[in-house]
Amino acid sequence: MRSGLKSDIFEKFSALAGSISNSEVEGWKQQGGKVIGYTCSFVPEELFVAAGLMPFRIRATGSLSAGRADDYFEAANICSLVRHCFNKILTGEYEFIDGCVIGGGCDANRHILDNWEKSEARIPFLHRIFFPHSSGILMAQNFRNQLENLKQLLEEHFGLKITDDKLRDAIVLCNEIRDLQKAIYALRKVDNPPITASETIALVVAGYSMPKEAYKADLTQLLEELRGVTVPENKKTVRLMVVGPGHDEPTLCDIIETMGGTVVTDLTCYGGKTLFGSVREADPDPLQALADYQVIDRPLCPKNLDAHPIINREVMDKIKEYRVDGIIGQSYLCCETWGGELFVLQKELKEAGIPMLRIEREYTSDSLGQVQTRVQAFIETISGGLL
Amino acid sequence: MINIFSQLMMEANKSLYGLTIDPQNASKGPVVLGNGDFFIEIPVAFGCAFSDLTLTGANGTALPTAAELIDKGIETGVGSRMCNAIKVASYYLEAGLISKPDMIITSNSCCDSMTTLGILMNGYKPWADVPKFTMDAPHSFDEESYLYFGHQLRNAVTFMETVTGRKMDWDRLREVCVESNKQRQLLLEFQELKKAVPCPTEPDLARQGTEYTTWTSDRVTPTVTAWLEQLVTATEQRVKEGKGIDGVNEKVRFLWQDLAGSWASGTVLARLQKELGAVCLMDYVSYATWTPIDLSSEETMFTSFGKRFLLEDAMNRQALHTADLFCNDILQIVKEFKCDAVIMPAHIGHRDTNSRMKIVRDLCREHGIPCLVLGMDIWDKRYMTPEVVFDRMKTFFEVSGLI
Repeated sequence: MRSGLKSDIFEKFSALAGSISNSEVEGWKQQGGKVIGYTCSFVPEELFVAAGLMPFRIRATGSLSAGRADDYFEAANICSLVRHCFNKILTGEYEFIDGCVIGGGCDANRHILDNWEKSEARIPFLHRIFFPHSSGILMAQNFRNQLENLKQLLEEHFGLKITDDKLRDAIVLCNEIRDLQKAIYALRKVDNPPITASETIALVVAGYSMPKEAYKADLTQLLEELRGVTVPENKKTVRLMVVGPGHDEPTLCDIIETMGGTVVTDLTCYGGKTLFGSVREADPDPLQALADYQVIDRPLCPKNLDAHPIINREVMDKIKEYRVDGIIGQSYLCCETWGGELFVLQKELKEAGIPMLRIEREYTSDSLGQVQTRVQAFIETISGGLL
Repeated sequence: MINIFSQLMMEANKSLYGLTIDPQNASKGPVVLGNGDFFIEIPVAFGCAFSDLTLTGANGTALPTAAELIDKGIETGVGSRMCNAIKVASYYLEAGLISKPDMIITSNSCCDSMTTLGILMNGYKPWADVPKFTMDAPHSFDEESYLYFGHQLRNAVTFMETVTGRKMDWDRLREVCVESNKQRQLLLEFQELKKAVPCPTEPDLARQGTEYTTWTSDRVTPTVTAWLEQLVTATEQRVKEGKGIDGVNEKVRFLWQDLAGSWASGTVLARLQKELGAVCLMDYVSYATWTPIDLSSEETMFTSFGKRFLLEDAMNRQALHTADLFCNDILQIVKEFKCDAVIMPAHIGHRDTNSRMKIVRDLCREHGIPCLVLGMDIWDKRYMTPEVVFDRMKTFFEVSGLI
């Protein structure tokens, strides 16, 4: 859904988020720039930015089939997001990337690397790092070691040098981008937010799809535009928050907002999860600062056994900040760790008197008919039929 | 006819399947509850009862009431495509059927479903005050990884000491490790004997031996060592005599590259053996690659623990790591055990295995090994019934020209 806001930047972001390759990537490549793909939000983009590479987060936008990937992954038993992303890789939609780092967040995701290496779509630089499954100094050190190794491999493969100063600059840039995104998210705290959930998804997904400096400039301008918007009075809506793994396309949010809900915030892998806090900027060891941020400060992946209290706190804080009436807990079929996390969260929310609708779905939007009925019932229940 | 092998099997099964709900009730001492493997020598030496809730759930699927338990697990709402062993464990937990432990130790090993059970255990409100310790099992197998995980196991000992106010008796830990090394060596010897053609005895005894040594209340005790010694002695005798499994005319030897689960052994595999002479030489609990725990110092011990846990323990080896390791094991087993075919049960709850299907198919094709992928549920025989599995395997053996 669109808010009706006229903005060239919104148009640009929507176009970037609605396709895989795009004009920004083409422009970057024409100038001799290299693009590095990655999966999972714990893979630190800062490292790529410091290397002068353009990070591009792998997604499956627009995918209608996972047919070729289903030769590799058993369709009935593997998360459809992973299968659809890998299908895009196999069908050549990621031909523009010069390398890829797989974030081994879950069992299916980490196997993208094994399958990619053995496929015809193989590219020269493929690497995998693993998010620790518990949080502590030892684990942060282990993650730092993985980042050090990745740094060396990037330097060797791309013939470049990633200095500590470059890393610190990249950390500052990515923190600034997070701050801008947070400021735009915060605009949705009001009764009648100036941007819709779909526009917010486009906004964050665009950030994974274009050079960071340009993205920062666009975000800065967009924030100015949004602060100047006067939004007309709107009818009363149910304020909802989406929690779960990454969803890079707007269909679910469109359904929610068409049914009379307003998605005011989220804690998802492409969205709100990535906006948590900031990385230490002046640390003598910037790799350790990145590792600490991901492993100790922001372990928001349920694959980490210490993540739940932090996820719970983040959800509860956002419920207050954004005056959330209910939670949509969405996950993909076969996503076990989010399945467990949402199960525990739902019980805690129930005790706190916050309604939650649990949705298990497939990646493609044609599976969302039943979801629509359930979302409608959920919104009607919360609103007491007043909408 | 009851022979020595049948007796041994019954003894192991009695101990193994005696573990249904809440085995710690019968134990003395502090209770450690895990969501999967812990390094069992540690709680044994510490005098703790250790209970693996995944195993408790898996054993639930072997009960006559399995279907009902699985359905109750589904009703908890923990995730419709979750492994059914975990669903049953979730049901036990949510129904309050598991006694409150003294401490909880969870790790991500060896699959996402077990991690999920860890999330449930750590987030279970009635146990909010139970001390908890979490571990990160890396998806790598090198010296650095062994040190890393060994360090965490050492920290787990400190955690247990803090919770209980007791101290680890390091001499006792060494004794337990000596016993453990002896048992693993015996299992390796049995594995070697099993390679004979025809297979000298029920190959499933390797799985039961492994489970008996690591999963039951008898684990790492002289009782189990004596059991293993009898097994090796009796099998050696069989090999000398050149005899195969009683009543089996061995025609096909195959690898079952997954867990046997709760129902396949007694139904499909037994029937294949008897009716078709198709013998399941190996499954992935049985495949032993153990090396001795190095007892020279505390550091070497814990590094050995790390190695054994990450690389050598059943299912951690197959599930935590790369497709290359998984595939190399397949080739190695096929070669060493003279297997004619590979069966990939592709248990619906195993995301790791289900992510490697094309790689395994291509590997087998390249090496001329007939391979069948089933896509079954090793805990719930309603998903793909024993009859269907049998028919599919029979057809596969026929089409492959093996029978």
